[in-house]
Parts: sequence; structure tokens; C-alpha cells
Amino acid sequence: MKRTASASIVIRRRTLGMLGNILGVAGVVVGVIGLIWTGAPGNTVIATFAFGIGGILLWAVATPQEFTGFFSGRQVRFGTMAIVSTILLIGIVALVYLQLLRAAWTFDATQATRYTLSPETERVLSRLSSPMRIIGFYSSRALTTREIDDQFFRLYETATNGLISREYIDPDEQPAIARRYGVQYDGQVFLANVRDDGTVDLATLARVPRGDAQERDITEAIARQMIAGRLTIYFDIGLGERGPLDTTQEGISAVFAGVQESGINARTLDLAQIAAQGGDIPPDASAVLFVRPLRDLTESEIQTVARYLDAGGALLLLTDVLFSEQPFLSESGAFNQFLLENYGIGALDAVVVDPGLSAQTPLDVISAYVFAESDIAARLDPAVSPTLFSVARAVDVKLSETPSNIATGRVIFTTDQAYGETNLTLLGETNTFQYDEGVDLPGPLTTVAWSTNVQTGAKLVLIGDGDFVANGRIVTTDGAVTVPGNGILFTDSVVWLTELSEEIDFQPQLYGQALPLIFVSQQQMDLIAFITIIFMPTAVLLIGIGVWMRRSRR
Amino acid sequence: MTDAMIEVTRLTKRFGDRIAVDHISFSAKPGEVVGLLGPNGAGKTTTMRVLTGFLPPSEGGAKIAGHDVVTDSLNARRNVGYLPERVPVYPDMTVREYVLFWARLRGRRDARARADAVIAQVNLSERRDTLIRNLSKGMRQRLGFAQALAHDPPVLILDEPTIGIDPRQVIEVRDTVRELGRTKTVLFSTHILSEADHVCDRVVILHQGRIVAQGKPSDLKRKLRPDATLEEVFLSIIGTERGAGK
Amino acid sequence: MTSWIVFRREIAQFLTTPFAYVIGAAVLLLTGILFNRDLNISFSTKPADPALVPSILSFAMVFFAPLLTMRMFAEERREGTMELLLTAPVRELSIVLGKFLGAWAYFTLLLLFTGIYQIILVNITAPDLGHALSAYIGIWLYGGATLTVGMVFSALTENQIVAAFLGMVALMLLWLADQAGQLFSNIDVAIIFRTMSLQGHFSTSFASGLMRAEDVAFFAGIIAVMLFITAQILESQRWHG
Repeated sequence: MKRTASASIVIRRRTLGMLGNILGVAGVVVGVIGLIWTGAPGNTVIATFAFGIGGILLWAVATPQEFTGFFSGRQVRFGTMAIVSTILLIGIVALVYLQLLRAAWTFDATQATRYTLSPETERVLSRLSSPMRIIGFYSSRALTTREIDDQFFRLYETATNGLISREYIDPDEQPAIARRYGVQYDGQVFLANVRDDGTVDLATLARVPRGDAQERDITEAIARQMIAGRLTIYFDIGLGERGPLDTTQEGISAVFAGVQESGINARTLDLAQIAAQGGDIPPDASAVLFVRPLRDLTESEIQTVARYLDAGGALLLLTDVLFSEQPFLSESGAFNQFLLENYGIGALDAVVVDPGLSAQTPLDVISAYVFAESDIAARLDPAVSPTLFSVARAVDVKLSETPSNIATGRVIFTTDQAYGETNLTLLGETNTFQYDEGVDLPGPLTTVAWSTNVQTGAKLVLIGDGDFVANGRIVTTDGAVTVPGNGILFTDSVVWLTELSEEIDFQPQLYGQALPLIFVSQQQMDLIAFITIIFMPTAVLLIGIGVWMRRSRR
Repeated sequence: MTDAMIEVTRLTKRFGDRIAVDHISFSAKPGEVVGLLGPNGAGKTTTMRVLTGFLPPSEGGAKIAGHDVVTDSLNARRNVGYLPERVPVYPDMTVREYVLFWARLRGRRDARARADAVIAQVNLSERRDTLIRNLSKGMRQRLGFAQALAHDPPVLILDEPTIGIDPRQVIEVRDTVRELGRTKTVLFSTHILSEADHVCDRVVILHQGRIVAQGKPSDLKRKLRPDATLEEVFLSIIGTERGAGK
Repeated sequence: MTSWIVFRREIAQFLTTPFAYVIGAAVLLLTGILFNRDLNISFSTKPADPALVPSILSFAMVFFAPLLTMRMFAEERREGTMELLLTAPVRELSIVLGKFLGAWAYFTLLLLFTGIYQIILVNITAPDLGHALSAYIGIWLYGGATLTVGMVFSALTENQIVAAFLGMVALMLLWLADQAGQLFSNIDVAIIFRTMSLQGHFSTSFASGLMRAEDVAFFAGIIAVMLFITAQILESQRWHG
């Protein structure tokens, strides 16, 4: 009994000693790696060292004869050396691995160079001067997604020498942070500026959309982030417009949110109130948007706008034909006259009827021609992304005899068959229209026009439809985009007005275009199946049997 | 004693608590055939395994052609040809491939010529392209010799080479050993005393891990009585050991 | 040099015994069936996946690698040749390295055979060959790593079946570690497990056409560490006779 008891203690001590040995060496090795890795003896490194020394002490105390045997006995020394050298090798491998992980040397083997930043992205990144951070929220379930995404984020970090950094947060572990960021789904990615103290500036937080073209999404988000905060656009609400937060079919909450999402500050202003108090449009306004105002501007309001424009302001005017007294931009009204005199563009009291190209009725005007040389229309290919205006207003552009320093141009144009119905009363009451020679305006007609003062930098875009970006027009109830051109027209107008385009000067890259599909005949398919499933394995098997038979006869 | 080809000094080998070989010392000169005698479990195989570098000694040491088996193991191994008790073979190789492999592995540059020479030496030339799986037991034993000689080592260690083969082949093996003993140092283990008597210049008698006697077979016999056989010598030694032990 | 001699014997062993051909035929049959299935699915709907066969092999190796390595040391021990190997003037590491290179060369040969699928694809469509090459380099290293894991278990046990079984279990765990995220709610733990997994250094990099230095280092490191451990196991067995 005594013997077995003492034997079991010996075994226990030996196990303990062995454990101490392994832990001790591992601790010291990890400590060394940690030291090399961090470059300075931090708390963790010291703790690991202490742990390692503790382990070695445990080894010495638990099995003293083995410990001394290490210095004299062959077998113990061999055993210990085997463990030590193995751990050491693992340590070296781990160190090399971590160094290479940090160096992030990669080689993109794909034909479509899927893992290489495009020149456009590199141009954007070359202008980056302040630190930014990509913050990804991934739970452990989205780990593979995170790995894939990380390969992209890493490219940005490498390309900017760390100016763009990466941070990953597990929304399950830190729900409070996830809530603060407004995380909506696992794997969501955000972008934000980094303050001098290294913390994320939550005020500059922007969501990165998750689409098929990851590089484009990230680069666009970075480009926007670079100008974010510097650009502010104001939606006027003082002339009877619907508020930007109106989520009904007629509201414009969708584009308002879209502007915000793109990194531009979006606010509201009340022109009537500012004019009444003799104030000015805020000087930080990169652009002021008048989305379907109901009444025309008063003299003092015009003065306010004029001062803003003289200071290089930008206006986006969305106007409808209104069947009321003193409607916005009435052809003979003071504001319209002001625009025509000073900027060479103005609205006409005529509804566009285009029998040549329209949707359900000739009043649903589809963009027939686009002046692609203007920045606004660059992406508005009528064949791919036409615009649709329901009851459009014709606009007037002075292409010659413009005021000094003013440049003007058309953006969207109707067909030759179009005409401008001027009998608004009849149209409004009976919904009838027809071309009256000499009375109605002959086509083709302009529906969107721009103007700029090259000296002051003032810019205007006049769009002859007030509700083309209303919630009901650009998206259906289930969120699908209906008329892509309308959204592009709005966005690119804002981009042009705010000079955002000079910040984001890159074309979205085309991905997944490259590889052709497989087309084979049934005979070919059968042949392939025969070769791969029957011929190849059988051939290998036969060779094997042949070789074996020949040899075994010896 | 520096010219000894095999030099064993206070060699001890423990397996856990069991002592297999207990502080044994002996040596063998060039051209000497030394028999390692003893009953099963006396420590013969263990001693040989230490000498061939297969097992590391627990204490003490051994030198082969002046190379320590622990500190200069690779050089020691280069000078030993080893035939374990059961001839180790690759059944799917031919005789020639097999001998060639060992000749190459042990560093012979002229491996092809050497392999053919060795195969001829053990009378397997006609079967050189036969698969080993198709060889008879006696042929395999000869192949074992060929393998041990493949690199032409100065020291040969043969572990019970006569076990399990028919008497005619036993004589053949004994002749071979004697023949080899002319040019090489041979350490040869057996538990059959008459065999050692026939073949060996000197014998080392092991019992329970210790050397109980060593010397020329004739001297050992003379000590007891002139016409004694080695069996009688052995039994008398073990007998006194037992008596002394108790 | 001595590794080269062991390597030559090992590769000759693969090429002269029917076992290796049976394994090869089985691998080709498996990849062939899955290749045809994928061809039928993607026919006229999507481009060919250049990493298809390497990805199949990445799973298949969980089972095939231990089958290839199980006899490596167990057989030497059974025939007693291990004793001769260990008394030859050769280091354990050289023996282990030679045996590994033999098995790896056999695996490389097998990979070259699967190149037939790429040839077929080139003839019927225009696959992304760069992507395919990356996946092949990846599976080549991956296969090497799985072989060394199998070797450790072959050195560890006398029994071939046990060696193969333990090797499969170990590789299965290394393979599944990729899915650690589904198992551990703590992402840092999950990342550590995924970093340890074989898939974690293949499926999202090599197999997607991206070669990363750290993945090469991972597989090379696994190979180095496992070979070293195998050599240590062989050496430690000397002490027990």
C-alpha cells in the first residue's frame, strides 16, 4: 500500500515537473517573441517572462533530481533539449509568421487584378493627409467575411503607410459600442477620421455600403470622408417646400438621407425668415437647394440670394408648373427675370409635351438627348439611365448674348416633336393639350440647364421638374430603384454644384467583367466526363497493376 | 589500447528501473572475432545496439574505431556493419536495389560496383534482380550479411546470425564469420557456446547484464579443466555467481 | 545528400507498389466526378472556378494524407529496417526529410495529373490561369503540411491503422478550425483557432487568387515544425529500445 502511494506521488511530481518544464520554456520563448514583436518590455512581456521563470522553478522544485539531471544525465537532457528545441522552433516560426503578417507581402495572381488597388483609388489615397480608420463590426460568425474584407482593408493600410488604419469590433462582445455606431448587420463597415489622440471621431462616421464592388465602395467612402464636414448643403423650407424629413411618397427624405450618407452635411434653412431679419445665407453653404417651392421670391429674398451668389454660392432649383397665383419662378416674376438677366437661364411657363419619347402619356417626358460634355450629364446615358419627368417645365437658356463672365449650357433635351403647351389653364382644368402654331413653343425644348459665373464661382442648375426625386419616384415601396437616371441627375447636380467632383475624380472600376462563361456541346461534355471519370483513374490503376505484376514476377 | 576497434568502458544501460547492461568493459582489436555469450536477456543485444549507435548508453561509453558512439556517433556508425537478429528487409525491393540503397546511405561513392561485389561475395549474384519477398530464409540471411558489408566497414556486429536457419547454413555462416574475421573486427553474439568455441578468438560472457568472464576460449576452459567445454565453463561461472550472490 | 537517397527509395516505393496507384486513382475519380458536376452546374451560367480542384483536394487531403504516410515508419519498424536506418550514419532529420520529400513528390505528381482539368477548361473557356496557379501553389504547400502531420502520427504509433486514424482526426480538427467562429462566440479565440487551421491559410487567400507571404510561412512553418517533431520522436524512441 505504502509503495503504491509513494509511486503515485512520484508520478504526480514528475508530471508536475514536466508541466513546469514545458510551461517555463514556452513562457520564456513567448516572452522573447513578445519582446521582439512589441519592441519594448511591456507588462504582458514581463508577465510572460515571470510565468516562464515560475514554470522553470516549478520544474526544479517538483523534480529536483530531474532538474539537476538536466545538467548531468543524458536522457533527461535529451528529453528536455527535445522539448526546448521544439518550442524554440515553434517560436521562430511564429515570429517569422507574425513579421510577415505585419509586412503584408501579397501577390495578386488573378487576371482581373482583384486584389490590387486601381489607379483611381491610388490617386484618391495619394491626396489623403489626415488619418482615417476603417472600423468593421464582425462577430465570430462572420469571421470568414472579415478575413476576406481584411485583405482589402490591408491594401489601403499598406498603400497609405498606415494613414488608414483598421479596427475590428465584435458587436456581440461590445454591444454598447455597436449601438453607438448604429450597427445594423454583422459585417458592417464604417469609416471615420482619427483624432490626434488616436481615437475615432464619431462625428465624422460614415457607413461603407456593402456591394459587389468592394474597392469602389471603400474608395468612394474614403473620398467622401476626405471632404466630409467641409461641405454643407442647405434645403430651403421657407417657400412652402415639403420638409426634407417627409417620408411620404411626395417627400424627399430618401435623397436627403442619401446626401447625408455621402458625407455631406445636410441642413435646412428658411429663406423667408433670413430675408425678414435682413440676414444672409450661411457662408458655409456649399449649395442651397430649392426643391419645389410653392411661392415666388420677394424682393428682399432675391437680394439675399443675389448676395449669396455673388459670394460664389450655388443653387439647385427644382421647379414645376404650378396652377396658382405667383408660383415659384413665374416666367414674368422678378426672380426669373433676375436669373435670366444675371445668369442667362430661367423658367418658361410651358409644359413639355413630347409625343416623340415619353412614358404613359406625352407628359411623362423621358430624356431624349443629353449633353454628355457637361459634368452633370456625364453618367446620364439615355440608353442606360434615362430620366423621367412627369409634367416637366420647359426652361430657357441663353446660349449667346449671355451676361459677362457667365457660361451656360443645356443638360437634357427633348425630341424634335416636343412642344411647350402654354395654355396652362386648359391643361390644368381639362388635362387636354395640343400644339397651337404660333402660340405654343416649338421643340426641341430644354428641361435641365446650368449656368456659372466663371469669375465669382457662382453655379446654378435649373431642373424643370419639382418632384422627380420624390420618394415615390426614385424607389418603390420595397426599396427597388425605379428610375436610375433621376437619382443620378440629382446626385451629379449636387456633386457639380458643390465641386465634389473635383474631390472624387475617379471612375467606378468594372469588376467581374472579365471571365467568359462556359459553353460546350453535349458531345464535348460526354467526352470530358469519359476522360476525367473513367479514363484517367482507370489508366492510373492499370499502370499500377502493370508495374506491380511485372515486379512481383521477379 | 588506442588501436582497439571496439572499446567499451563501464557501459551501462538502464530501461527505467531495470538495468540491462551493468558497467561492462571490454575491447576488440583489428582482425579479432569476439564472441558475446550469454543466455537470452543477458544484455547481448542491448550491448550491440549501443555499439551500433542505435541506443544511447545511460552511463559510460564505447568507441568504434576511435569514435565515441555518443559524441561522435555518425563517424562511429560509419565504421560499423550491423546484422540484427532478425534480418530487416524491404520485401518490395530487389536484392540489388536493397544492397545499393544501404551502400549509398552509408556513404559509398562507388555504390554500384560495391553492391555487385558484395552480392557476389554472399553468392546472391544469380538472384540480384529477385524481389526480396521471394527469397528463402537462408538467402535472406546472406542478404543480411551483404547489407552489413555494403559499405565495407572495419567493424562488424552480428546479432545471433545463426539463429533459425538450418544446420548446413549454420556452418556456412560460421565459415563466413571466420573468413570476415581475417580482415575485420567482428563482434558476434550467440547463446550457443560451441559456436563461440569454433569461431571466436576471444569470448565475453555476459550474465544478467554483467561480464562474468572473458578471455580466449582455450584459457577459460583451462581454468576449469583441460577438456571442459564452454558450456561447462559457463555453467560453473553462473553457478559461482549465484552462490556469491546469495 | 542522405535525404536524397532516402527520398529516392521512398519515391521508388510509391511507384512500385499498387497502393499508391490505388490512392491516385481514387483521388482522380473523386476530383473527376466533382469537376464534371461543377461543369454541369456552371454550364452557360457562370465562369469556371479555377480553384475548384485544389479546393476539393484541400478536403480530400484530410483523409488521403494519413493514408499516404501511415506506413512510413510503422512498416520500417515492422520489418526491422528502422533499426538499420537508425544505425546508418544518417541523422534522424535527414531520414524524416527524405521520406517527406518522397511523399510530397508523389503528391506533386498527383497534382500534375489533375492539371488535365485545367487543360480541359482552357479548351472550352478562358479560365483565370493566374488564379488557378495560385490555388495550385496553395494546395501544394497545404498538401505538404498535411503529409507532415500524418508523419508525426506514423512515427508515434506502431500500428498503421491507428496512425492513419489519429492523423485523420488531427487533420479534421485542423480543417474544422476554420469554422471556429461558429463555435466560439469570442472572436479573438475564434481568430486564434482560425489562424491555426489549414483552411484559414488557403480558402480565403490562395484559393481566391491571392498569394500572401504569411500563408507561405504558415505552411512552411508547419512542415518544418512537424518534421522536426517527427525526428525528435524517432530519436526519443532510441531511449526506450
